[in-house]
Amino acid sequence: MTVSQLSIFAESKPGHLARVLGVFEGAQVNVRGFSLADTGEYGITRFIVDKPAAAAEALAREGFAYIETQVVCMKLDDEPGQLARVVAVLGKADLNIVYSYSMISTYIIIGTDDAERARCLLAEAGFSLVTQADIARASAERLSAQG
Amino acid sequence: MIAAAQAGRFDDLPLYDRAIETMPREELRALQLAKLKEQVAYTYQKVEHYRHLMDQMGVTPDDIRTLDDIRKLPFTDKSTLRDTYPYGLFAVDLDDIIELHASSGTTGTPIVVGYTRADMDVWSDCIARLVQMAGVVPGDIAQMAFGYGMFTGGFGLHYGLQKLGCAMIPAGSGNTERHIKMIEDYGTTVLIATPSYAMHICEVGEQMGYDWEASSLRVGLFGGEPCPPALKAELERRMHIVCTDNYGLTEVMGPGVSGECLAQRFQQHIAEDHFLAEVVDPVTGEPVAEDQVGELVLTPLDKQGIPVLRYRTHDLTRLTTEPCVCGRTHARMDKVRSRSDDMLIIRGTNVFPSQIEDVLAGIDEVTPHYHIIVETKDGMDALTVETELRPEKMSDSFEQMERMRRTIADKLKGTLLVGVNVRLVEPGGIQRTTGKAKHIDDLRQR
Repeated sequence: MTVSQLSIFAESKPGHLARVLGVFEGAQVNVRGFSLADTGEYGITRFIVDKPAAAAEALAREGFAYIETQVVCMKLDDEPGQLARVVAVLGKADLNIVYSYSMISTYIIIGTDDAERARCLLAEAGFSLVTQADIARASAERLSAQG
Repeated sequence: MIAAAQAGRFDDLPLYDRAIETMPREELRALQLAKLKEQVAYTYQKVEHYRHLMDQMGVTPDDIRTLDDIRKLPFTDKSTLRDTYPYGLFAVDLDDIIELHASSGTTGTPIVVGYTRADMDVWSDCIARLVQMAGVVPGDIAQMAFGYGMFTGGFGLHYGLQKLGCAMIPAGSGNTERHIKMIEDYGTTVLIATPSYAMHICEVGEQMGYDWEASSLRVGLFGGEPCPPALKAELERRMHIVCTDNYGLTEVMGPGVSGECLAQRFQQHIAEDHFLAEVVDPVTGEPVAEDQVGELVLTPLDKQGIPVLRYRTHDLTRLTTEPCVCGRTHARMDKVRSRSDDMLIIRGTNVFPSQIEDVLAGIDEVTPHYHIIVETKDGMDALTVETELRPEKMSDSFEQMERMRRTIADKLKGTLLVGVNVRLVEPGGIQRTTGKAKHIDDLRQR
């Protein structure tokens, strides 16, 4: 199972990220991980959230340019060499990593041209893959722990 | 009525003043000549500025024997109205003036114009004619989204629509959400706005969840700024209305000089019984042939308050007198897409904003909104075009986004023949305005 990522067009100007996050807050969407990348003139901000459908709906309503894509998320053991193993698996299969970022310490997001294939390769190599449900659950558990 | 136009049944469409609007061209020209002779005599007699100029040139009103003789007369430029500000060109006592208007002053000192009761009658007549031509019928409910005030657009359309028999809602510009509520509550059928403000109303309505398809709104009347064809098409599609735009300028009257009929969507019929139109080479001032692009020069034929002669509009267009399927015989001008004075010279090449509009209109990934920035970089002119990404064209890949940006830049370069930096901005990122849209920032060091 791959996970949904929301990639949002961002002009490089102050206040843009605040506007996006305001929309998420208004829709009661919790951000579980994100990455900002920029060309100097514009950028792509990528988000992993607990409720991708609600987030997408809120973004559309506010007129943002965004796209929902599938990426792979896996939980690595917190020890040396783990990330190296991941990239080795994909490299050996000639699957290019277009971008990658970490979510929560050892939760690593990887974007490729073929998310499903990357997922299979990494699952076969024994990595612990994170699902959308896991992400939602983590958010819900934290809330109930607070509650 | 609009259905009849779409089906090509133009015979079914009502005309506001059939006798004048379908007058055979020979008769129309005879009418123009008779009016021109009177108008030149009136102007010579009443306005010192013109009497002085014509005396210097050795021309008298008796020298006007044919319509072509108008070329013997001096041109009038905006600077003449500024130099004689406020009342220097007025031909009547202020007692006879019943309304004053001023230009928006976007390009310098404002100018002021005055209308007699007879001028107001002609003006509202011209408007009634053009709104009928655009699909408005008596009984329509017309909502004004132009600002009123000194700008000629607001009151000009207001009086003309009333003259045709419409109920006016004088909402004025701004407070977009209230506009949408009024359309809904009052059953508005006609919206008068600048095209860029109409787009803003459309977008705000969509965000509020207003259903434009189910709306009572039927007709959009646009003016105040040029309306790019792609923007018009988009408004028609999204708001489910028929949009036309009309042309005019404060210096010769205001809106009402020409308007679009439902048969020719890229041209406008000139009210030739009230205006004599010439097209001249913007540099030499010499006439160009019919169908050739040049600067529009207008002479109002029965204006009493300020009777300007040969007003240089700086608007580039061309005229045709070919018969129109709508039945009107009055000449058509191409919609004004560019002005002789907003031509940009980039590294020695002439660039018109309308060329940029046309290229962007052919690109699916972006909206028709744009903004041009010209700067000096390393001693050279650098042209940047900002364009809005359409929400659904977003990609997760910089490679694809950059490819899109380069494709747009290449297409622009292919048409403009100068290199362009394209900057993608987010949807809604280009400012929409209620007045004249500001498309160009020229920041070059002079």
